[in-house]
This record gives sequence, structure tokens and C-alpha cells, in this order.
Amino acid sequence: MEYILECRKIFKSFGGVQALRGVDFTLRSGEVHALVGENGAGKSTLIKIISGALLPDRGDIFYMGQPVRIDSPRKAQEIGISTVYQEPLVYSELSVLENIFLGREIRTPWGNIDWKREEEQARSLFASLGLPHHFLREPMGELSVGLQQLVLIAKALVYEAKVIIFDEPTAILTEHETERLFTIIRKLRDQGVGIIYISHRLEEIFRIADRVTVMRDGEVRGEFPITAVDRAKIVELMAGKLLVEEIARRGVKGDHPLLSVQGLTRRPRFFDISFDLFPGEILGFFGLVGSGRTDVAQTIFGLFRPESGKVFFDGREVSFGSPEEAMQAGIAYLPEDRKVQGLFPIQSVAYNISVTVLRELVRRLGIVDVRKERDIAEKHIRELNIKTPNLKTRVYSLSGGNQQKVVLAKWLSVTPKLLILDEPTRGIDVASKSEIHNLIAHLADQGLAVMMISSELPEILKMSDRVVVMHEGRITGVFEGPEKTAENIIRAATGERMAVAGGVGV
Amino acid sequence: MTNTGFRKVLRRREFTVLGLIVLLVVLFSLTTERFMSVSNLSNLLLQLAGTAISAIGMTMVIITGGIDVSVGSTLGMASVVAGKLLVGGYSPFLVLLSALGTGLVIGLFNGTLIAFGNVPPIIVTLGMMSILRSLMYQLLGGRWISGIPPAIRVIGLGKWLGVPISMWITVVLIAFFTYFLSSRPLGRAIYAVGNNPEAARVSGIDLRRTTLFVYAVLGALAGFAGLVYVARTGIVQTNTGSGFELEVIAAVVLGGTSILGGRGTIIGSLLGAFLVGIIKNGMVLLNVPALSEGLVVGVLIILSVMIDVIRARGERS
Amino acid sequence: MKRVLDYIVENRVLFLLVLFVALFVVFAVSVPGFFTFYNLTNMTQYGVELGLLALAEMLVILSGGGGIDLSVGSMLTIVAMIIGVLIGRVGLNPSLSILLGLFAGAGMGYLNGVLVSYTGILPFIVTLASLYIYKSLALIIAVDPRFGPNPMPVSNFPESFYFVGQYRIAGIPFQVLCIFIPVILLLWLLLEKSIFGRYLYGVGSNEKAALFSGINVCRVRVTVYTLSGILSALSGWIITSRIASARPDIGTGYELQAITIAVLGGVSIKGGEGSIGGVVLGIAIITLLYNGMQLAGIHQIWQLGSLGVVLVGSVLLNQVLLARRKI
Repeated sequence: MEYILECRKIFKSFGGVQALRGVDFTLRSGEVHALVGENGAGKSTLIKIISGALLPDRGDIFYMGQPVRIDSPRKAQEIGISTVYQEPLVYSELSVLENIFLGREIRTPWGNIDWKREEEQARSLFASLGLPHHFLREPMGELSVGLQQLVLIAKALVYEAKVIIFDEPTAILTEHETERLFTIIRKLRDQGVGIIYISHRLEEIFRIADRVTVMRDGEVRGEFPITAVDRAKIVELMAGKLLVEEIARRGVKGDHPLLSVQGLTRRPRFFDISFDLFPGEILGFFGLVGSGRTDVAQTIFGLFRPESGKVFFDGREVSFGSPEEAMQAGIAYLPEDRKVQGLFPIQSVAYNISVTVLRELVRRLGIVDVRKERDIAEKHIRELNIKTPNLKTRVYSLSGGNQQKVVLAKWLSVTPKLLILDEPTRGIDVASKSEIHNLIAHLADQGLAVMMISSELPEILKMSDRVVVMHEGRITGVFEGPEKTAENIIRAATGERMAVAGGVGV
Repeated sequence: MTNTGFRKVLRRREFTVLGLIVLLVVLFSLTTERFMSVSNLSNLLLQLAGTAISAIGMTMVIITGGIDVSVGSTLGMASVVAGKLLVGGYSPFLVLLSALGTGLVIGLFNGTLIAFGNVPPIIVTLGMMSILRSLMYQLLGGRWISGIPPAIRVIGLGKWLGVPISMWITVVLIAFFTYFLSSRPLGRAIYAVGNNPEAARVSGIDLRRTTLFVYAVLGALAGFAGLVYVARTGIVQTNTGSGFELEVIAAVVLGGTSILGGRGTIIGSLLGAFLVGIIKNGMVLLNVPALSEGLVVGVLIILSVMIDVIRARGERS
Repeated sequence: MKRVLDYIVENRVLFLLVLFVALFVVFAVSVPGFFTFYNLTNMTQYGVELGLLALAEMLVILSGGGGIDLSVGSMLTIVAMIIGVLIGRVGLNPSLSILLGLFAGAGMGYLNGVLVSYTGILPFIVTLASLYIYKSLALIIAVDPRFGPNPMPVSNFPESFYFVGQYRIAGIPFQVLCIFIPVILLLWLLLEKSIFGRYLYGVGSNEKAALFSGINVCRVRVTVYTLSGILSALSGWIITSRIASARPDIGTGYELQAITIAVLGGVSIKGGEGSIGGVVLGIAIITLLYNGMQLAGIHQIWQLGSLGVVLVGSVLLNQVLLARRKI
């Protein structure tokens, strides 16, 4: 048995979109195998299949040489495959000890929980990992996220894990916590545990991994011993010969910036953010999850107060205290998570489109002009080509693409001057995506300023006139024209400083 | 280390409530002559037993993130059944079993609809409360039950070492369930379900069975409280136990159990019940009649929960 | 057939209408004295008081976030006592007393709303506490020092005070024609036509999205709790006028019946879903049920029991439907 875990020709599709196309992946005991790739490359799908959250459509998984069917996270845990997620699934009110042992309690002969032996075992586990263990009786919620992750590693060891998956564990850790995590990962490896390590940070991969697999578009694009590959090669494979679509743009950008952000800081989310955005321009914001893009956008939209820095909008210095104020000034923000922040799923299509402009539709005594309301909804359904049986259809019954168009319509109906789009096409089908892209381009051509946050490189490359790249709360690059290449952007996004951040007007 | 440990104890809700109780005891014994008298104190304990017994079950239900507003009617229904059988001359043992059984069946019914029918707990138990009231009327035919045989009234009125027997039973039940909640895997599962149902599911805890279990236990305990009630008062009426649910919920919430689930202790609920009971008792003695007792309890509930909210905010920032 | 059934069940208002008609026919055929003008109009008189409370619950539950108002019965009681004491004991002008009573209702509701919106305490706890507080304030108000320390009902009202609760216009009870129906129309306008109604549904169905859409979530919530106080106060005034007495225990247990009717009327306990048409039909059905059972000689305690069955049954039905709906 060469491999502890072996995935052969794994296929998986979601409603027509092929997420994995015949992926092979292997893991040995006592090695760290890194898995890298851009968003949408298929890493998470593969991990979900290995950890029992999803079942593959086709393909075989062998575990310790035997074919297995991992049909639940529970099953994965039972057979020795544990996953440490970025945001750990914990019981915040219960003690650390219980978080480790719940569901697998050590019992006394009478069936009571044997706290003493649990604590002893936890102590020795923590000692073997070189961790302090004075907090075993504290509530889990009082620990930092970094410590919580370490507790979950200890939990995996209680389950006698032979494979541990780390899903972007360092994204929200401090430097010190990251170092500690690496020490522990090395220890686990030396003890013979097989480790799958997912990260966007290439420098980490080179420090910790023994092997690396690069994925793109649901396929494995290369697998190397870490010594046989360099950073440039990995970036090239991740970016690939990106088929960058062209989109016709004929607009001209205005002379004076509509939005000018200077030195905006809100610790620990982002630091010293400065950029200008002109009317008629699409400014792409690229960066990893947690790099601070969304926080910058939401701060401009009035959801948070910045600590320092200035925002000029339409020639005046502004500081919005609530979304209500930002909207009145002419800013619209399409939030990232459309189900949670963007839509009223149990309300009608018409309601969702018009809710942002109701104040303008009031005749008197707060009574809404129903006809105008309907007209607005109809207009946007027509213009955005939203496929809905009728105006009264509840939004949850529409397809993902049409739901996203409804969110878009909701924000376009306010006729903003600045439109902030946060992941405008995440999780929707190809046809709707291209329609939405055309619409955004069309709007910019008409003089709207667009700030577009996206984690999808092809989208950023296709749509943006200029790209701002963020990494760990700072701007690490601004690219325009021939500089605007996949490789440059990925390098900046993985932490390589490409340009001076201050006062980037370009 | 010990210093922070001590501070932790001070920060616990149980300690705040205990402090309030001590304060009130001092206050009432200074301002009234009768408060510290043996007869008054044992009277206080007699009245508290039923609330405390039901609060055990209610604590568990609220820890899972649920609620049961039908406990008052469950107590009433069990006391009707127990009263009828007692007057009919059945053996006390059989009566005990029927009171427990009545409560258990009601609790199982609630639990089944909540766990398997996905109906919100407040709706199920609200409906159950109305249904039980009607059934009680039907069984009683608009009359009272009285003439409970003295033998059984020992449970409600008898004393051992100066403390009411019902309170001894309460203490035993509290000890048992405190042990259960802190040391048995199922007891810990109750906290897990309330704190993070998703994580509990992944840990292999059966959410539905756990939910069913807590409502069943609450039902059985409320049934037992019904028997204690009959034994103490010797009377059963159609409105026996009405409003009792609010008293029990108030005791549990005051005792620090989070209505959001995942946190709480039975000792806390016992202290909460004591606090409410002492306020009631002291106000009667002070001749600030029962009228303003609700006022004090209501304000206490808001204040104590508000302190938690503020504390949580303080810890976050 | 299955599709017709599905449609009826899916469309709550239609379902309730069918239920109402069926119940009406059953009572008309089998209960003597039911199908008379006097009984039918008389019945509506009783529906008003509970109906107003059900409308209050509807608003609060619609606002989401675990919205529920357990204190409606207590607010009703305290307003009844305020009006009673001001008129009967203080000897204040009845119109002024009633106005003060309504203001008190609004104030108590506002307090609930502020506690719910700005402190982050769950509505269930806030209104449980205010249920206690308002109830005991009502008892304190009811104490007449001249007759010792116990709370006493007030019943010496001037004849004019009974107009609202006891008189009829063209055979129809005054409170139905001049209070209940206008309130329903106003609330209909509010929910279906006004910007506030739109915002209320938004806040109730997705609080986060409402915030992101520029809706002032707290203001909406405070408003509905205040409205709940006003509606309870109206109910307290009418009931006092009808039974010609202000009693400090008058509203006990009403909150649960009111919640039941709102939920039966199709208001989702999760918020954001439900219509005034459904709730009005819910009120009609329960009123009909109470009346029919009373005429049939079934003791009124069974009203409660039937209410419980209807409540659990209708929500269970909802859940079965929700399970089928794919979100």
C-alpha cells in the first residue's frame, strides 16, 4: 500500500456545471500534500468529497488500500479522515475538553464521563504537539480562532486521524499563530499522518509541503515534488492560457474622479487604502477571501466607520453613518452573499426590485404608487431579461442566475452614480453570467462608475479597466493596460508587492 | 490563576442571584418579624418545591433552545388525574405512577411534534396548554376535587428534620439531574444540541431523540409537581397551575439559562426559583400585597438579561 | 383533485375561506338559533376585542427576529383600569380618560419596542417581563384606598360610556362598524399599500438584506410594538364599555388566543409572511367557532381546547408545505 488515500477519476457536476473532470489525487502517510488553484478550480469540491460532505458522480476512492464510500462527515471522521476548516465548527459555550471529546467520551465503568482520563489524554496530546494545556477547562468561545483550530487538530488525533485536511487554515491567523500551526503540522507529518494542505499563499506551500498539486477548471494541471518546481511554474499553471474573453467597451472615462479614497484604515481589516474611481470606469478589486476587499466596500457604503482616512464622493468629503445615507448620496452596493444580504427570498420579484426606491414612489401619506412600482419592476425584468413567470413570483423559486439579476435590478433601480458589485456572478450559470457582464459594461458606458470585487480572475481580466489587488488588508498592486495580466495579478494577490500603494491614481 | 478563577465565580449569574437572595433575606428579616420564623420559612419551601421540580425540566428544555409554556397545564392535568384517583381510594403508588405517566405522555406528545413535525416549540406548547385546560374542565365537570386522603398529603405537608419532605425530594431530583447534565454523555449532548446543532449532528448526536427526551422529562417532572401540589393544597380546580408556566420560565431565565440555548445550570434555576419565591413571600409579609410582585419579577428579568447582553458586548470589544 | 387540494392548501386565504364557509354551513344547518340576524351581528361584537389583539400580534410577528408580544393581555388590562379609574374614581371627563388610556397603551408598546430593538434581548423575554410588570401595575392602579388594600373593579360609569360597547347602528354593533372595520381598513392600507408595510415585510423576511437596502430596521420594529400597544388599548377600552366594568384580571390569557389567531391566519412565526386578509378570516373563524359551540351548549372552556387543536394543526400543515417548498 503506497498511498493512504487515493482518488481515481473523480467526476462531479452541479446542475450542468462540471466542477471536477476526472481528478486523480493521492496522499501518502507522513507527507504534506498541498493543493492549489484559483477559485472555481475545483479544490473545495474535491475536499468536500474526501471529507464526506459531497458524494462524487463517478470515480473511486481508496482508503488504506480498500475502496470506501464516504457518505457523511461523520463517516469520514470515523474512518480517520478529519478536516480543520478555516472557521472551525465548535461549541462556543462548552469547554475545550468537551469540544475534543464530545461524541467520543471516555467513560467510567458506570457510563459516566471520565473527566479525569479525558483531561489526562488531552494533556498528553497537547504536550505531544508542544502546546500549553492550561485552557482545557475554559469555554471554547474564549479562545482565539487560531487556538480553536489547534483544539480541532487535537480532536482529530482523538479520532485517530490518519488523514487531516487543512482548508485555508492560515487565512485568518496571525503570523505567530501561523508559525505554531506549521510546527504542529510538521510534527503530525513526522508521526505518520497524511496531510492535505490547501492555501492560496504560495510562500507557505514552499515552506510546508512535500508535494504540490495544481488544479484548474476542475482538472489536475500538474503534480510535483516541491523541490522540482518553483513559484513561477505554479503561477503559470494556475493562470494557464487563460481564455480571456473580450468585451466591447466604448465609453470614455470622466476627467474627475467620482470616488476618491485616501488612506482609509480600519484595523485589523484594512490599512491605508487609497484609490480613485472615475465615472464610466470599471475598477476591478481582486484578492483572496479575507484580503479586505469587502470590508473596504462596506465601509464606503456606511456599514462601518473607518478609523482614519478620507472618502471624497462627487467632489465632497463624506462619511456615511448608515446604508440609508450612502444610498441617498447615490451609492449602491450589491452584497456578496445574495441569499443572506441581498434578497428577500419569500417576497415577490416586484418587491425585491422596487424595495430600494420606494421613497421615490410615495404619493402622499406614505402610500406607495403601485402602478409606478409595477412599471419599475417590469422595466428591469425586461432590460435584464429576468426569467420569471410573473411579477408576483416569490424570488426563492427562481434560478440562481435570475436571482442574481433580481439583486442587480434592485440596485440599478435606484439609478446610482457609483455601483459597488461584490462577487456579482458567483455561483450562477454561464449564460446568465455573460448577460450580467454585458449589462455591467453597458452601464459603465453610460457613465456609471463601477467598483467590481471578484475572486474570479477571468472575470476581473475581462471586465476591468483597471485592477486593484489586495493582500492582507493592503493594496499590493494596481494594473492597467498591458500590465493587467493574470500572472501579475496572481503574484500580487499571493503577497508579492508589485506597486506602491499610496495615492494610486494611475 | 486562583484570582482569575475566583473572578470567574463572581461573574457567574448564579452568584449574582445568590447575592440578591442574601440581600433580600437580610432585608426581610430586618423589616419583618415573621420572615425568619420557622413556620414562614418552611411554608416558603413548601411552595417552592413544585416550581423547583418543574424548573429542572424547563432548564433542560431551554438549554436545547426550546421552550414549554404548557407546564402549568401539565401540572394541572396531572393533579386532576392524581386527585381523582386519590379520592377514588387507589393506592398511592399507583397514583404516583399515573401522575408521572400523565406528564410523560404530554411531554412525549409535545416532543414528537417539535422534533419530528418541525413545529416551533412555542406553538406546540401553546396549543397543548389550551387543549389541556379544556380536558381538565371536562374531567372535573366544573367542580373541585377535595377530600384528599391524609396519608398522601405527607408528600406535600410532611417534614423530616424540620424541612418539608417535598423539598427533600426536590433536593434529590436536583442532585440527580445536576449529575446527569454534567457527567452523562446524554446530558452533555443536551448542551451541544442547544449550542451548535450543526456541530452536534456532525458529532453523531441524534438531534430528534435528544429533543424528544428533554420534553418528556419536563412532562414527567411537571406531572410529579402536580402530585406534590395536590398533596400540599388538598384541592384541585379547573384553573390549577394556570400562570405557573411563567413562574417556572422566569425562575430559569433569572437563574442564567440562556434562552438562545447551550448555557445554563439547574442550580441556577433553583436559585432563580428561590429569588422569585422570597420576593413573593417577603412582599406578602411587608403588606406590599401580591400586586407589585409581578413588577419586581418583571424588572428583575429584564435587568438580569440586560446585564448579560452588556457583559457580552464588553467581552467582545 | 390533488392539484386543487394543493392549490387550496398553498393559498392560505382561500383555504381559510373554505374553512369558514364550511363551518358556517355546518352551524347554520345543525345549530338552532345560529342563522338569525341577531345572532350573527351579536357574534361580531365578541370578535372585536380578541380580533384587535390578533391584529396586534400579526404586526409584531410579521416584523421577524422572533417577534412576539406576550404582553397584549396585560396592556389591555392596564388600559381598562386606567380608563376605569380616571372616569369612575377620579371623575375625569370620559373622552379625555379614554385618550389618556390610548396614550398609555402606545407608551407601553413603545417601551417594549425599544427594549427589543436596542438592547438585543429576545422579544419573548422582553414581553414576558412586561406581561408581569403591566399586569401588576394594573393591580396597583385597581386598589382603592377607601376600601382597603385589595384591587377592586370599577363599574360606576356614566351612561354615555357604554355607547361604544353596547349600542348598535342599523342593528350592527357600534364597535364593529366604527372601530373594528376602520382599523382593519387602515391596517390593510398600511400593510398592502404603504411604504411602511413594504419595509415591515422586508425587515421580517430578511433583517440583513433590509439593512443593506437602507431600511431602518430598529424604527420599523419600534413602530410595530407601539401599534401593538395602541391596538391592545383600543381593545381594553371597548371591553370595559361592553361589560360595563373595568376589572384588573380582564385580559388574562388573551395573549395566547391572539397569537393563535394570527398564526391560524397564516402569519409565519418566522416573520415576513402573512396577510391581513388571512388574519381577518382567522378572527372570523374563531368567532364563529366560539359562537356556534356556545349555542350548541358546549361549555366555553372547550373554546380554548378547539383553539389549541386548530393552532397546532394549522402550523403542522404549514410545516408540511414548507418541507415541500425548495429553498
